Amino acid sequence: MPSAHHGREGNGRSHLLRLLPVLAGLVAGLGLPLFLPSWLQGLMTRILVNAIFAISLDLIFGYTGLVSLGHAGYLGIGGYTVGLLMARYGLRSLWITAPAGVFAAALGAAVFGLIALRTSGASFMLITFALTQLLYSVALKWDWLTTGGTEGITGIARPDLGIAGFRWNPLLFYYFVLLAFFLCYLVLRSVTRSPFGHALQGIRENESRMQCLGYNTWLYKYIAFVLAGAFAGFAGVLFAYSNGIVVPANMGIVMSGNALFMIILGGTGTLYGPVVGAATIGLLQFYVSDLAPARWPLVMGLVFVLTILYARSGIAPSLLKIWKKASGQHGSP
Amino acid sequence: MNTFLLDLLNGISFGFILFLLATGLSIIMGLMGILNMAHGALYMLGAFIGWTLVAQCGLDFWLAALGAALITAVLGFGIERGLFRRLYRQYTEQVLLAFGLSFVLVNLGEWIWGPIPRAPFTAPAFSGSVHLGSIAYPTVRFVIALIGGFLAVGLWWLLEKTRLGALVRAGMDDKEMLAGLGVDFDRLSTAVFMLGVGLAGFSGVIGAQALGASTGLAQSIQLLAMVVIVIGGVGSVQGALVGAMLIGAIDTIGRSRFPQFALFTTYLAMVVILLVRPAGLLGREK
Repeated sequence: MPSAHHGREGNGRSHLLRLLPVLAGLVAGLGLPLFLPSWLQGLMTRILVNAIFAISLDLIFGYTGLVSLGHAGYLGIGGYTVGLLMARYGLRSLWITAPAGVFAAALGAAVFGLIALRTSGASFMLITFALTQLLYSVALKWDWLTTGGTEGITGIARPDLGIAGFRWNPLLFYYFVLLAFFLCYLVLRSVTRSPFGHALQGIRENESRMQCLGYNTWLYKYIAFVLAGAFAGFAGVLFAYSNGIVVPANMGIVMSGNALFMIILGGTGTLYGPVVGAATIGLLQFYVSDLAPARWPLVMGLVFVLTILYARSGIAPSLLKIWKKASGQHGSP
Repeated sequence: MNTFLLDLLNGISFGFILFLLATGLSIIMGLMGILNMAHGALYMLGAFIGWTLVAQCGLDFWLAALGAALITAVLGFGIERGLFRRLYRQYTEQVLLAFGLSFVLVNLGEWIWGPIPRAPFTAPAFSGSVHLGSIAYPTVRFVIALIGGFLAVGLWWLLEKTRLGALVRAGMDDKEMLAGLGVDFDRLSTAVFMLGVGLAGFSGVIGAQALGASTGLAQSIQLLAMVVIVIGGVGSVQGALVGAMLIGAIDTIGRSRFPQFALFTTYLAMVVILLVRPAGLLGREK
């Protein structure tokens, strides 16, 4: 899985060798689960959901240079919206719950973005964190919202697709999430390759220069922030479908931190990087939890620290470079 | 009325614990631009060390507090020189590194001391209670407030009235200029970082008398300390003090009176203040 996706950024130059990683990724993503037990299919599903969440954060973190410590808040809004609609109001349709979750998260990001983008740098980290803690305390304490306190919302089912006679099984749900992942990936790919995406990267490199060029940088950052919130909300929707439960901790700082870990481990400022990061962390957690569950935070923290110190560009770009060398290709990715 | 007084006293002593933690966090962030996400983890180490030395080994309280401060300060030296220094001027990376480090430290703490929280202890010298009208209030809480108040004055004096403090304040405003004047900014940063995390370890021991010691504390107190510096403003002792007292009072009174809104009011207060004054109540204007 880690090597599965690192070719996807390729821009269609029809070089068979160049496409090989993409093909390998497709085969692994599409074919592998057929031969795996259902609990491993579940692991791959969780990895994909995490990957969507991490990519959404990378839009503002890697591409725009805004370090949010509260991105899990929008995942939480998406998840809780689905939870409330399903468990409290009995609405099970995909076509109602998913758009509602995404819209609620985007709305949350639209409001909080107005506040957070008044600041930058370390203050931006502080305030994004604070705003998400606000949501966390609401989910935890406001009984009248029926968010269920510490227990969260249980009894969330997989969505009703509106197809008569359709029944979910883990494999079908995996393919559903895979499809969702592809859609998100393609949309975000076209966003990051559009003039808008290039402007975001310009802001990351030098915001005042972009202002001098006449860009309304605030607006660009704001749109990116809301867009990232919407995609995080979609990840939250899938998260709720997949786990069947949402709890306040799902929007805690550890969740936001995990997404940052995945991005940095995989490769900041790329789309395939967070996917590789999510897969690596998912598998690593799986094995460590088998050997010494209580030591997982230690391992994760160490991997994170070492990555920042010694491999800041992340796994995926390094692998890509090696691959290019091995297959005799030149030029930057 | 009596319960209100009780809440208020609890709020003040909790506020001083927060102050000791947040003031280090604030000055480190002001001078070095690093939001030290490992601050709460170092507080936790201090609390565990304090608990072991005082409650288990029966060591003198002051020796234990100084010992914990020394241990965390030495750790801080290692973190600053060994890790942050490798990421020269990469502020985002430094914050993320500290974040990763907090997971390592908290889990190491859990490995050494186990996952079971330790109850608050009282050093023999501070046992007993003070009678205020009809209520008896534990002496140790007054001791916490006294130590906090004493250190608040000391830190204010250090930062505002001494040459070292003047250098630190100058560094917050313009580090290039300061370095250009021949001041060794790197050594200054190391000293400030050691002082800040030393205070975190120290406050861990002080705080363990009211809050006990547990791994969960690392995160919750880190979050509250961050709230405090957002409210009070980055880079000043007075700001940390005002923010800590406000949060100490809001948190304690909220918890006992309006449990539904306790956390919410804390964070709402922070958001409102950020909206009105983005630099915090007493922050240094840039």
